[in-house]
Amino acid sequence: MPFATTHTVSLSGATGHVIDVQADVSPGQVATVLVGRPDAALNESRDRCRMAILNSGLDWPATRRTTILLSPADLPKRGTHYDLAIAVAVLGATRWVPAEALRGVLFIGELTLAGGLRSVPGVLPMVLAASQRGFRHVVLPEPQAHEASMVPGMEVLGMRSLAQVVAELRGELVPEAPPVAPMSSARLLSWRGAERLDDVDLADLAGMEDTRYALEVAAAGGHHLLLSGPKGSGKTSIAERIPGILPDLSREESIELTAVHSLAGALEPGDGLMTRPPFAAPHHDASTASLVGGGSGAVRPGEISRAHCGVLLLDEFPLFRADVINALRQPLESGDISVARAEESVVLPARSIVVLAANPCPCGDFHADASIDRCKCREVQRRDYRRKVTGPITDRIDITRHLAAPTPTAGRDPLAVRETSAAVRARVAAARDRQTERYDGEGWRLNGHAPGPALTARWPLSPAAAELVDDQLWKGRLTRRGVTRVHRLAWTVADLRGADRPGTLEVEVALRLRSGEPLLSSTLRRVG
Amino acid sequence: MTSDADRLARLALSKVFEPGDARVAQLVLGLGAERLLTALRDHEDVAGLLADASERLPQADDVHRDLERAARLGIRWVVPGDAEWPCSLDDLDMAETLDRTGGAPLGLWVRGPARLSEISAPVAIVGARSATTYGESAAAELAADVARAGSVVISGAAYGIDQAAHRGTLAARGQTIAVLACGADRIYPSAHRDLLAQLAQHGAIVAEVGLGRAPMRQRFLSRNRLIAALARGTVVVEAAARSGAINTAGWATRLGRPLMAVPGPLSSATSEGTHQLIRDGAATLVTRGEHVLEAVAPMGEHLTERVRGIERPRDRLTSREQRLLEAVPVARPAPVESVARTAGIGVVEVRQLLEVLAGRRMVEQLPAGWRLADGAGHE
Repeated sequence: MPFATTHTVSLSGATGHVIDVQADVSPGQVATVLVGRPDAALNESRDRCRMAILNSGLDWPATRRTTILLSPADLPKRGTHYDLAIAVAVLGATRWVPAEALRGVLFIGELTLAGGLRSVPGVLPMVLAASQRGFRHVVLPEPQAHEASMVPGMEVLGMRSLAQVVAELRGELVPEAPPVAPMSSARLLSWRGAERLDDVDLADLAGMEDTRYALEVAAAGGHHLLLSGPKGSGKTSIAERIPGILPDLSREESIELTAVHSLAGALEPGDGLMTRPPFAAPHHDASTASLVGGGSGAVRPGEISRAHCGVLLLDEFPLFRADVINALRQPLESGDISVARAEESVVLPARSIVVLAANPCPCGDFHADASIDRCKCREVQRRDYRRKVTGPITDRIDITRHLAAPTPTAGRDPLAVRETSAAVRARVAAARDRQTERYDGEGWRLNGHAPGPALTARWPLSPAAAELVDDQLWKGRLTRRGVTRVHRLAWTVADLRGADRPGTLEVEVALRLRSGEPLLSSTLRRVG
Repeated sequence: MTSDADRLARLALSKVFEPGDARVAQLVLGLGAERLLTALRDHEDVAGLLADASERLPQADDVHRDLERAARLGIRWVVPGDAEWPCSLDDLDMAETLDRTGGAPLGLWVRGPARLSEISAPVAIVGARSATTYGESAAAELAADVARAGSVVISGAAYGIDQAAHRGTLAARGQTIAVLACGADRIYPSAHRDLLAQLAQHGAIVAEVGLGRAPMRQRFLSRNRLIAALARGTVVVEAAARSGAINTAGWATRLGRPLMAVPGPLSSATSEGTHQLIRDGAATLVTRGEHVLEAVAPMGEHLTERVRGIERPRDRLTSREQRLLEAVPVARPAPVESVARTAGIGVVEVRQLLEVLAGRRMVEQLPAGWRLADGAGHE
């Protein structure tokens, strides 16, 4: 019976489906047919596999009909990582590879004409998916063995060529092969290296106590943040210090994030699980696809997904294109992004703290103090710019802070307390622990993601505090959506203070954080 | 010249009576401290004071021990007639009382290098304890500005605006003085240990009440009159409608010294008091240091220039030139007649004016007519 089955995984976004690759070699009109909805790149796999097999010194069934089925057949499939599974299936059908060696083994990898194995993006989510389906063995390109071995309980075999794989499956001596090139890096869009962030600390910044507190709340509760202020008021410097006050990722978060980066092909060989929260700061010229994900062919995760569980800074936010800004609405609200295609809709995780930074005008020199105002923008330009800051996105932002241009006074204050990121991180971690405990078994981890109805029903404000919020609603100072945001913020303030339930004090702080009004200094008072 | 006896008598009286008792101040002014003390010790009921005094009179004997203890702590007792006595306090004897509080203090406990008689152009910066970050940075900025111009800053030592004013001054390496409602040796509020240490090192800590005395409500009110009286002008930065800072403002007004207030956001409860002061016409609105300096400087000094926007080339044109410029199209040139029609100015004058404007490179002539030169329309 000239027939064999191998297994690989098809990815749709970060979701993997195990695919059975079945090869049948039987008499008939001589041809190689690939069925099961392959895309163009996958269709070329026939040619790659044939040449790879021949150039590995093995036999391709040249006188018979070869049918390759990718099953389930109705699932559209794209990518080049099917090559290895297809080639091995064909060799299995011709009995060159014993069928029992193929059972329960996952094959991932692209083949070169010379029979070499090439790295492919998305190994981690593929192996994760297979692991959930009970697979315990995976064969893949050597540089990606490390990535795959992050999945617990997986036996990983990193190989350099088809010949090596076949030898291994036949139980023969594995031949030499040239090393496999790692995937090219795809970090072009992040204009700052992640390593740079290891050196920045909150202690570097003088003053800005109001914003520091807002940062702490944002980090503790996963709240989105809008920072506005003139050029040089420290918006960027303070935003890039947020990852530093976030605690290490949980195991679950690490795997999610690493999977997304694997999908983007941005994992270097040797990179372990990503355990620190990422930071992404795409330039305002970025396209929708680069920001939220997409691209032709396979959907590549955008910057917002690569900043999953971390911080996405949109500096000079009003200069981003309108369609890009609109595309952000969904992830801001739901924490994931779905990229819809004609055939499929792909959902990627995108639960980061989004920080929007905006100048007061396009040139950034506008100042309310007329004596130092150097703005050269026309009034109409300023108006257009500001209109972009308001609108549907800012309604989805929890915290608004207006930064003043720094004065020499703040930097020279001998009594200023310059807390380190580590000190703030400890409080953030404690506040997050309280949330984890409270929301145990729910579908969310942080206050910033808690649904409004659940909060109202199960984690309400104190009666006096609720009245205060209601009062603001009646006065028209708060929208319905705003009420939920204030509720969430009040919980985070309570968690930071170690209070059991948000009262009027917490709501007062929340209202100020939301409206952009300056905080009461008593809120920030720690040491004098 | 002060006699030692007077110094000691004032010290004894300050232990007997609560600070800011206007009756005591008047009697000391009339009789002298020694005679008043002797009379009270002889159980003479001067002006009905005996009942209040009798409980504490016995404590008043060991003034030497107070002085010794103060000396050990680096605190000095300064009385009227001393070289260091700030004469600006004497105005309190002339000022109307407020809630039965008033009069110059019997003496002051002073700690720190600043000599009270030598403080130049002192400015009081006061405000709410429960301030916002906006108010705090405004206070720090104002303090730094006036300190850099050589003024000494005076305030309390409370949370909020007080501490911000001191810190702004220290940041500008200026001199700053805190007037306390408790003993000059006490750390109150306790979180301000470092602040008070800085003040003792670089400025001065002043108190009217004796060492070790606790801060009480009435003592804050009498302390406020000293802040206003030590300063040449008082700035209120953020204050709720009824607050200590408004009380200090009342003293500035009673003393006829300039009173200033910093505005805040319209809806801010912490600025209600300052807005009220401005609305009542009691305070001048100030937004930066130079406004304060102008108010406290001797007449004619530190005059501030009126703020104007950036001067643009258009500002230098005559009104007719401006009117014409408005009528010149930005991109598509128009003939003189069309420009004249739009501007409503005669063709002959338009020709002349266009030449003038062309000379300033604000308009340019093309074969088809006139239009704005590059840049002229966009400023």
